[in-house]
Amino acid sequence: MRALLLLLLLPALSFAQNDMWADDDWDDEEATRSWNGFFEGAFGTRLNDDPLVQNRNTLEDLRWRLESKWQPGKTTISLKADAGYDGIEDDWILDARDLSIAFTVGGEVDFRIGRQVQTWGTGDLVFLNDLFPKDFVSFFAGRDDEYLKAPSDSIRITRYSPVVGIDLSWTPVFEPDVYLTGERFSFFSPLAGGNVAPNPPLSAAEPEHSFSNGEVALRLFRTINGREFAFYAFRGFFKQPTFAPLSSIGASLRQPLGQGLFNAEFVYYDSRDDDNGTDPMLPNDQLRFLLGYEWEVLPRFTIGLQYYLETTLDYAALLDNTPQPQYAPDEHRHLLTNRLTYRAGRDRFTWSLFTFYSPSDHDGYVRPVFTYRHSDTWSVTAGANLFAGRDEHTFFNQLQDASNAYVRVRYNY
Amino acid sequence: MRYTLVSMLTAIALTQGAGAETLDNADEIVARANLAAYYAGADGRSEVRMIISDAQGREQRRQFTVLRRDLDDAGDQSFLVVFSQPSDVRDTVFLVDKHVTREDDRWLYLPGLDLVKRISAGDKRTSFVGAHYFYEDVSGRRPAEDTHELVETSTDFYVLKHVPLDPRSVEFTSYVTWIDRSSFLPMKIDYTNAAGDVYRRVEVIEVIDVEGHPTVTASRVSDLQTGGRTDMQFRNIAYDLGIPADVFTERSLRNPPREWLQRPASR
Repeated sequence: MRALLLLLLLPALSFAQNDMWADDDWDDEEATRSWNGFFEGAFGTRLNDDPLVQNRNTLEDLRWRLESKWQPGKTTISLKADAGYDGIEDDWILDARDLSIAFTVGGEVDFRIGRQVQTWGTGDLVFLNDLFPKDFVSFFAGRDDEYLKAPSDSIRITRYSPVVGIDLSWTPVFEPDVYLTGERFSFFSPLAGGNVAPNPPLSAAEPEHSFSNGEVALRLFRTINGREFAFYAFRGFFKQPTFAPLSSIGASLRQPLGQGLFNAEFVYYDSRDDDNGTDPMLPNDQLRFLLGYEWEVLPRFTIGLQYYLETTLDYAALLDNTPQPQYAPDEHRHLLTNRLTYRAGRDRFTWSLFTFYSPSDHDGYVRPVFTYRHSDTWSVTAGANLFAGRDEHTFFNQLQDASNAYVRVRYNY
Repeated sequence: MRYTLVSMLTAIALTQGAGAETLDNADEIVARANLAAYYAGADGRSEVRMIISDAQGREQRRQFTVLRRDLDDAGDQSFLVVFSQPSDVRDTVFLVDKHVTREDDRWLYLPGLDLVKRISAGDKRTSFVGAHYFYEDVSGRRPAEDTHELVETSTDFYVLKHVPLDPRSVEFTSYVTWIDRSSFLPMKIDYTNAAGDVYRRVEVIEVIDVEGHPTVTASRVSDLQTGGRTDMQFRNIAYDLGIPADVFTERSLRNPPREWLQRPASR
């Protein structure tokens, strides 16, 4: 903890507060090359012991973020990197979230090459057509929401057009999710018939690193009178073990409706090596649907509701072939989410409550988060990740012993 | 720049030199004020900074550049707001497609997640990045959403009272504007709540001439109930730059258009 305090105090000593309000001190973006970022200390601990994981704490981060942009000529080189120490993994943090070069060809086509975070689709913390890598360990441990999206080394080519925009992302080497390995949180294993926390942590074999195993994601998009239409296609792999080959196609719509926003999205997952669903080791084909509505009920108080359905295809074949039918997913997995957000005091205080509840799995996940923005430089976030359910094998309830509370203190510079 | 506020900037070349004329039609005065405050030139850019203060004197600051383009005078228009300060909102981009015949479309780009977030119409009277300004103040309130009554014509101002047609969509029951008779800029706006109290005030502090357009360069919004306020300043203002329509699309959320964001002097 002493190191944490030191790290948090350091910036206050070393960075003078520049007064951008002095009359002739308008920040000239063109003239100055900026260095920004933050220092952050984060601590989280389990609410109950997990008999399988020795460490009661779930988050011990000391983190320094450095962000910069360099714009020689018409290109932009951006850097966003984290350095620090992760006390849970007992290892140094040294991650580039962004290390990319962006430029435009022929005035029409934008290229971005390098390490980058990518997002598309209409869901709020529910992903259908967004098959870019995600970091669920960070999400469940209470790191900033930003860390849910993991970076990948990709080439992104986008052509914007009023007729139809084309967005193409090629990730030459497969980039998996950061998934549950047993190091920080135990997880359910059908083979063991209960939760496990292997040591050394689970490290599943990934698809061979060859260009033919690269991933391609496509989005076609157009906005007509405020209605956003998009069509998606993907060829790559499931992002979690067993990393089975996956292709998908889908579509989405987002538009104003009444005083709020409505969104709908669907996707078809083609598990290419298990077309008829007979291989119990591989995921079956799936259809996924999402409906959402978000509106401001009272000033600064927003409600977002989503209904999500995951339908497993060739379900009879799955039941016929799985050695453990008791752990098989339901044919139709229903999920409801609810996001409540209230902001007060010129946005200095933000209360947020996000709830996942699955009536078919009989489990749920509640994420209360409170943020206090003390100033433009200092902020404090406190929150919890609470998991509960009936059966030990369901997605959220396997994390019951991972339920945790955390606090983060951040200094922005 | 002007964009910001119900009151801000600008123009109307028409009214220059025609200042002696006295108008008595409230709708016509409002139409001219709308043009003056939001439609100077065919397009424009400005750098903006805000100090948001609460009653205890605690301050937050924001700095951003605004680009605007009109489809037609008094018609649809687009705004692009690119934040540069403070560092936790840096590179956040806000895009507005303002419509005369339907609700505006608004998007917010959050660079940390590469997320294009849509903002619902119901949020229009919600604080813009914590300021005492509302989302709606950035692009302007449609004149057709209120009824207008000319209550006084003084030497310097037309004083008008405005009542919302849909009282449930707003937090005020009426507001009064003091519109400068020569520039047609709204110089002061007082909002009255259901209790009959003036609880919110927008004031223009400074106006200068930019390329023939009277332009607001300093303004203030005060919360008269809590004592908080937001001060705004506008600098490096330019009009009629020839900003193309495709600058105001999703493309600029992910790749802010440097060519149009840089200062006019360096163009």
